[in-house]
Amino acid sequence: MRAGRVVDAEFQLIDRQVIDSDGVPIVAVDDLEVSDVPWNEDLPRGTEAPVVENLLSGPTLGTRIFGGRPPESRWQRIAWKHVVDVGTALTLDAPADSFDASWTERWVRNHVVGKIPGGHHDPE
Amino acid sequence: MILSDVLRSEVVDAAGHRLGRVADVRFRLEGPPSASRARMAGIIVSPRTSASFLGYERSTLDRPVILDRLLRFIHRGSFLVDWEDIHRFEDGRVRLRKGYERRSATLPSDDE
Amino acid sequence: MKKLLALALGILTAIGGFVDIGDLVTSAVVGSRFGLTLVWVTVLGVVGISLYANMAGRVAAVSGRATFEIIRERLGARAGLANLAASFLVNLMTVTAEIGGIALVFQLVTGISPMLWIPLAGFGVWVVVWRAKFSALENATGLLGLGLMVFAVAVFLLQPDWGHLAPQLIPRIPATEDGSTYWYYAIALFGAAMTPYEVFFFSSGGIEEKWSVKSLGEMKANVLVGFPLGGLLSISIAVCAAVVLLPQAIAVTSLSQVVLPVIQAGGTLAFAFAVVGMAAAVFGAALESTLSSGYTIAQYFGWSWGKFRRPAQAARFHLVMLIGLIIAVLVLLTGVDPVAVTEFSVVFSAIALPLTYIPILIVSNDKQYMGEFRNGMLTNALSLIFLAIILVASIAAIPLMVITGAGQ
Repeated sequence: MRAGRVVDAEFQLIDRQVIDSDGVPIVAVDDLEVSDVPWNEDLPRGTEAPVVENLLSGPTLGTRIFGGRPPESRWQRIAWKHVVDVGTALTLDAPADSFDASWTERWVRNHVVGKIPGGHHDPE
Repeated sequence: MILSDVLRSEVVDAAGHRLGRVADVRFRLEGPPSASRARMAGIIVSPRTSASFLGYERSTLDRPVILDRLLRFIHRGSFLVDWEDIHRFEDGRVRLRKGYERRSATLPSDDE
Repeated sequence: MKKLLALALGILTAIGGFVDIGDLVTSAVVGSRFGLTLVWVTVLGVVGISLYANMAGRVAAVSGRATFEIIRERLGARAGLANLAASFLVNLMTVTAEIGGIALVFQLVTGISPMLWIPLAGFGVWVVVWRAKFSALENATGLLGLGLMVFAVAVFLLQPDWGHLAPQLIPRIPATEDGSTYWYYAIALFGAAMTPYEVFFFSSGGIEEKWSVKSLGEMKANVLVGFPLGGLLSISIAVCAAVVLLPQAIAVTSLSQVVLPVIQAGGTLAFAFAVVGMAAAVFGAALESTLSSGYTIAQYFGWSWGKFRRPAQAARFHLVMLIGLIIAVLVLLTGVDPVAVTEFSVVFSAIALPLTYIPILIVSNDKQYMGEFRNGMLTNALSLIFLAIILVASIAAIPLMVITGAGQ
């Protein structure tokens, strides 16, 4: 990612696939968490612009489409600092399992799929 | 704050006139040597609709010609407003400063 | 032989799209009622699906991004979700129909009630989806499905009066039918030829096979061989019905009438080929629609997916397919007619078609995805024409379905 490059959030970040360092899909970006700015009050000239803190996924998708906001404890976050490439998909710097956001995949793996015979075998 | 609080908000000027809706939010990558921060650079305002451009405002997409013309027509008059020209964020609305500047909304093509 | 196997994905995709259980019966119905006057629709459908499958395949090969990822990325989460809901319902109805269809084929051969075959068929599909390698799955069903070529052979064996048949190719509404029914079947045939799950399966299958820029030639060959072949099989079934069933005004109500012309043409041997072909085609369609239901949901939500990953590495993907199969089997065990189920999927197809093909057309023009492999002017021109046809068909589908009572 080149410094100085310009990126439009809705077009190039939101609704894009997030893949890990091995190219495995993890989540789609449902929303972005940006550092706080004063709300309902005038911004003094020279206020520093906010930065993207996290990619959000999970319950934020439902509320983005239908309205409302899920409680912050339910937000699945991936810190922006893990993003190494913004292209047709967003690439992260580590494998999927090292991120909190992959918990549903790991849960289904451990509790359902892993329990069915052959779940851990390569297809033959 | 969550970005979708800002996306699709109404945009008004200092006098309260409605200018359009926030169609997108632009960020600039900064930080050495690989860009580790994405700082908000401005907002894209579209006078008629906050619907997607489907990619046609970018220099990387201009075909088929019919769709290109159609989408550009729907979004005609769209412009970029710098962060510095934003006066105030409210629920469902963004107020701009007096004397804000309209800039080109075209996303510059970057080497991938 | 290896070259032929390289085309298996295209052949299997086409088989699932053109001669699944719904199409096996519909093609025979159309031939028995309309003769050859709707053949042009199938030809049109072959061109359309070839065009769009090629584009979706090219996007997958060049950018590595799957079709439903693109749909969500380009249309946004809301429109993408509408498409997902419609597509998932179509897929689920199709899976239900195909598993029922497998049971019907076994009933045709053994005479044993389909109810006993349904759980077995569902389990069989599950085992293949769970354990079989993608290439094994497509090679076996694709090649065995070619047994349906016996319908084409039967057309010649039946020695029809070509002078009488050929004029039927000119589109016109037969005296025995009315206009709205003609157009209802035209839209149904066109929609069946261009069903979105063919594109989801083809492009995702390409990613399963690890297509890259170097695979573009192979991908094109898959399209140019597979879909015309699928169309040919579907047309052959209709011609057989036109030659044997139409003159005797035999109505098509089950698979027995569908194979009647083949038995008449070539006896037990031909019947055996037809049965093997039908069983493989319907089983292949079951696999294709099951995998499509997994692909679409996983790609929309950004989950890890793929038969090339072991189930533990694509857990939610495999779970969604398992749940879909269980629902399909349970629905069938209530005794619903599997073929009737597909008639209602036409409604949801009408929604899914434009929402699927518009993003594909746009993204295949996007330099960021395609680099130098963007669409040429001819591709764009043809694609826009077909997009217009798709929009007209989508808008007309539901009213026509209501007016004609789904083709009565």
